[in-house]
Amino acid sequence: MVNAFAYVPAIVLLPFFSFLVALGAGKYLPKGGAFGGIAATAGSFLLSIWVAAAVAGGRAYNETLYYWAGEGGAGIGPTDIELTFGVLIDPLSALMLVIVTLVALLVHVFSLGYMNDEGETGLPRYYAGLGLFTASMLGFVVADNLLMAFMFFELVGLCSYLLIGFHFREPGPPSAAKKAFLVTRFGDYFFLVGVVAVFATFGTAQFAGPESFPALADAALNGSGSVAWTPGGLDLGTWLTVVGLLVLGGVVGKSAQFPLHTWLPDAMEGPTPVSALIHAATMVAAGVYLVARMYGFYVLTPTTMAVIAFIGGFTALFAATMGLVKDELKQVLAYSTISQYGYMMLALGAGGYVAAVFHLTTHAFFKALLFLGAGSVIIAMHHNEDMWDMGGLKSRMPVTYYTFLAGSLALAGIFPFAGFWSKDEILYEALVHGLNDPLLLGGYLMGLLAVPVTAFYTFRMVFLTFHGEPRSDTARDPEPVRWNVKGPLTVLGSLAVVTGLINMVPVQKVLGLEGIDLLHRWLDNEWGGIEGLSSHHYADIGPYSSAYLVGGEVGTVLVGAAVSLGLALLGLGLAWRLYNVASPTEHTAKLGGVKDVLYNNYYLDELQVWLAYRTEDVAGGANTFDQGIIDGVVNGVSSVSLTGSGRIRKLQSGVVSQYAALLTFGLVALLLVLGATGGWFL
Amino acid sequence: MVNALPQVAALLPVLLLGFTGLALLLVDTISPDERSNTSMAAVSALGALASLAATVWFVASGTGSVDTGGAITLFADAIKVDTMALFFTAIFASVTALVVVAANDYFHDHANPAAFYSLVTFAATGMALLAVANSLAVVFVALEMVSLPSYVLVAYLKHNRGSVEAGLKYFLVGALSSAIFLFGISLVYAATGSLILADIASAPVEGLAGVLGVGVVMMIGGVAFKTASVPFHFWAPEAYEGAPAPVSAFLSSASKAAGFVVAFRVFTEAFPLELAASANIDWMFAFAVLAAVTMTLGNFAAAVQEEVKRMLAYSSIGHAGYALIGVAALTVDGPANGTVMGAAMAHLLVYGFMNTGAFLFVAMAERWGVGKTFADYAGLWRRAPVASVAMAVFMFSLAGLPPFAGFFSKYFLFQAAIDNGFLWLAGLGAVNSVVSLYYYSRVVKALFLDDPASPSALDTIDVRPTALYAAVVFAAVATVLLLPGFGPVIETAEAAASALF
Repeated sequence: MVNAFAYVPAIVLLPFFSFLVALGAGKYLPKGGAFGGIAATAGSFLLSIWVAAAVAGGRAYNETLYYWAGEGGAGIGPTDIELTFGVLIDPLSALMLVIVTLVALLVHVFSLGYMNDEGETGLPRYYAGLGLFTASMLGFVVADNLLMAFMFFELVGLCSYLLIGFHFREPGPPSAAKKAFLVTRFGDYFFLVGVVAVFATFGTAQFAGPESFPALADAALNGSGSVAWTPGGLDLGTWLTVVGLLVLGGVVGKSAQFPLHTWLPDAMEGPTPVSALIHAATMVAAGVYLVARMYGFYVLTPTTMAVIAFIGGFTALFAATMGLVKDELKQVLAYSTISQYGYMMLALGAGGYVAAVFHLTTHAFFKALLFLGAGSVIIAMHHNEDMWDMGGLKSRMPVTYYTFLAGSLALAGIFPFAGFWSKDEILYEALVHGLNDPLLLGGYLMGLLAVPVTAFYTFRMVFLTFHGEPRSDTARDPEPVRWNVKGPLTVLGSLAVVTGLINMVPVQKVLGLEGIDLLHRWLDNEWGGIEGLSSHHYADIGPYSSAYLVGGEVGTVLVGAAVSLGLALLGLGLAWRLYNVASPTEHTAKLGGVKDVLYNNYYLDELQVWLAYRTEDVAGGANTFDQGIIDGVVNGVSSVSLTGSGRIRKLQSGVVSQYAALLTFGLVALLLVLGATGGWFL
Repeated sequence: MVNALPQVAALLPVLLLGFTGLALLLVDTISPDERSNTSMAAVSALGALASLAATVWFVASGTGSVDTGGAITLFADAIKVDTMALFFTAIFASVTALVVVAANDYFHDHANPAAFYSLVTFAATGMALLAVANSLAVVFVALEMVSLPSYVLVAYLKHNRGSVEAGLKYFLVGALSSAIFLFGISLVYAATGSLILADIASAPVEGLAGVLGVGVVMMIGGVAFKTASVPFHFWAPEAYEGAPAPVSAFLSSASKAAGFVVAFRVFTEAFPLELAASANIDWMFAFAVLAAVTMTLGNFAAAVQEEVKRMLAYSSIGHAGYALIGVAALTVDGPANGTVMGAAMAHLLVYGFMNTGAFLFVAMAERWGVGKTFADYAGLWRRAPVASVAMAVFMFSLAGLPPFAGFFSKYFLFQAAIDNGFLWLAGLGAVNSVVSLYYYSRVVKALFLDDPASPSALDTIDVRPTALYAAVVFAAVATVLLLPGFGPVIETAEAAASALF
């Protein structure tokens, strides 16, 4: 059999070639290079399926492909660090490859409708960006060590900057792109320090294998091994927590978690297909994927886990409340993304590794669906995104409506759509682990509270957009969309309905049916995988124990599911009552002062700006210090040295006899000094 | 394969250079009035490249290295071919090739360019001979063989007052230094009764340690003259400034490296570290003092120069200070003795390319007739973008900025010095590097950021000196390529240096 893993680099390189082709020859190609991108991502998708099939066939792959520094331990620093590129294919990365390539493929197809048919200019640049974006994310997914992951993580950030700022001639997009770049870079700064700390501590940054840093950390904490370095007498556990939190900085930035989430709503300035790609499969997913990738490291430090869970739960609720009052379609979706990634972080922090990956999967499909659906609506509405100008689109664009509805039901967590299963499992994990852990329980409660809020804003959006009477002329006569929009919507719509089936844990537990928790078994290396990277292993070394409410495991499952479904329906019902009428009106005024707070996103942007200015003040102080004292010293040194230099210059008088004299005196001085110290003259 | 050749074949690189010089001289003698500038340049470049090829072949095949039977000695131990000798020969041959190619354009209107090529080639022969010298007699003869053509070369522009004056000063200081060096050799001979390096090391010196010590210090003086180290540096700024720019390139790169090969070989072999310790002849300390003073004085003086060529002259003094760390940061049984000297050798190789390139850029500016000062270079990149980029590469590499080769060689040098316990020397080197960044970046600023003094200031650039361009670009490419290729270079250098301890 041909080895599928030999083609893993091709998965990454195909979109990269499409980037090169679009960049170099895009303007000579039909559709600005779109077909190259579609062909490349389709090829990557097929290869990913093949790779996943190979993993299902019981194999895995962890191979260093290229040493770019220090091969064979020759040389860098005292710890013989090797810097490498490699490929790690295990169930997690194989699954992620399929998700990313599928979403990227659909986004490429959709772009034909959204960009080409709308007569956008600069298409080669657009498709080049998409290709590089996809390639970077795929490189990140298959990375076998933290440094390589970091490099591709940065590339992802760069591509998002380029694509968000695609319409760079308008005022909004460049500013949003800059903001996305700077805010995520702020987090990445900590990540970079974390990478260096990992290298310094373990001498390696490999994710998998017996010599990987999670394995070394585990051994060191057990007392059966040791690490190369910890800073000045710091307790090992404390130091590992610090390292974990440093890396988490990058995650919080990229996955738009509180308090670094502010870039993401602004990033809506980018073209809608790009938003779909960012939110579903690439940029934002990268953060959560990174935590899952090095989960074996995070579970070792309970504090980090609790921090992850709490940030996640808080972000889930916090972002959901801001989504309540937004008027623009994509803004609502943006806040929902932040909120949903909060759920994933909550799951990861709560020890629900499988639940997080499950939600990552389902969310990738239904969020891509919702964004592409929103894109379809935006095409129809001639790029007017204000939901108050829509209404009644249901009968005029049925394919968009029904697929969008499927995505919304999934997002709101309504049985039996995909989002219900994954969100339910997250809350279940948080609950059973949280009964012994107050911080985690807090995370759970916030996650639970976010459920009705999510359902409410989701259906507020659906009703305002598609139901009732049209509220503008364009809504009465929307522009039709073509196959290249409907096709991707249909594919994703189907997936949003059925993806939940891959992991029917509650059904299994309640009915006692064995073997329908496919994702659990997949991530537990039941078919194939790498030792030390299984969900079982993580549970074994993790800090949590389970506790149950009344009725043991089954009872807890049922109670948990009933509560979350009930709350979701409550939110849905409220939205129905308020907005599913012929001509809905704004109800936000009833919120009073809260409304302004929510409209302004809790004034967090203002806070960040204020902080920036205060930093500037501090910087001003530092500047004064710098100018006065540091520069004073430096200027002093330089003026002294310039004066000294002037003297030296005078030494060079041009008179040879002086040279000879100085030369001789210098030699004699040297002779005397050495002779005196060496005792030659005695 | 090499073993099948007679032992004397190990001198092939030296012989190739020597015969090239003779051939050039012969042609010039037969038809002295023929102005065959280009063919002479081509012949001498081919000779230098052939010598370089032979050297690289020998290094690759392991001639004289420890792995293949050790150094090859010839003529009653007067000559010794080992990897270090070949390493330095590679530097000399490369610089010679670059300089003669560039000279083809530089001397386009010179009345009699032919002698230039034979003089350069003979000087290079002397350097290559210096690298293989294993006896103080050979060292001195070879040193003179380098010096005498150099004096003539500096004064080669006969009708230019600056050139002639510089040549005369160089000669006078050189004569004094040679005398000191020779006197040192005689004292060493008096104390030990031998001129062969290994025999000097093994000779008993009871009671005569003082005589030997004075001799050693005087020999240090001779080395310091050749490497343009303080206080024997006075000739350097004037000679480099007055000489034709290709000659300055040759002297400041190749001739300086020739001085270092003497320092590296003679002192470690004739006066090994153990002897220096037992007889209280602390020549390492003397070199440490010279290194500290030289790098400081060179860099600080370079900072206040107004003319680019003179700045480069002082910067070249500063770099001599860095390279001196290779013989200064040594201790008995030091863990990094081989590493620090190897790093200094690698630095000299890198320096050979970047410094030669920088002087050749000056040669190009002189060929164009733009002025000498920083201000005269303003805005040059508009008319000569490729050369300006190359110059920026040289400047940043000289300053030791990544990602250029100069960064790595300096980094390894300072790192090895620290490993050997000479933190103060490495620290001083780092401070000096910071100072150097100031004046190197002034050149880049002038080239790229400043506006020309007048719109017509650049109109003098009306020719494209192809050969000069080729040499400058080649040096720049080498400076950049030595970054990925630095691994083999530093390994060869460290292996060669370790063989001495």
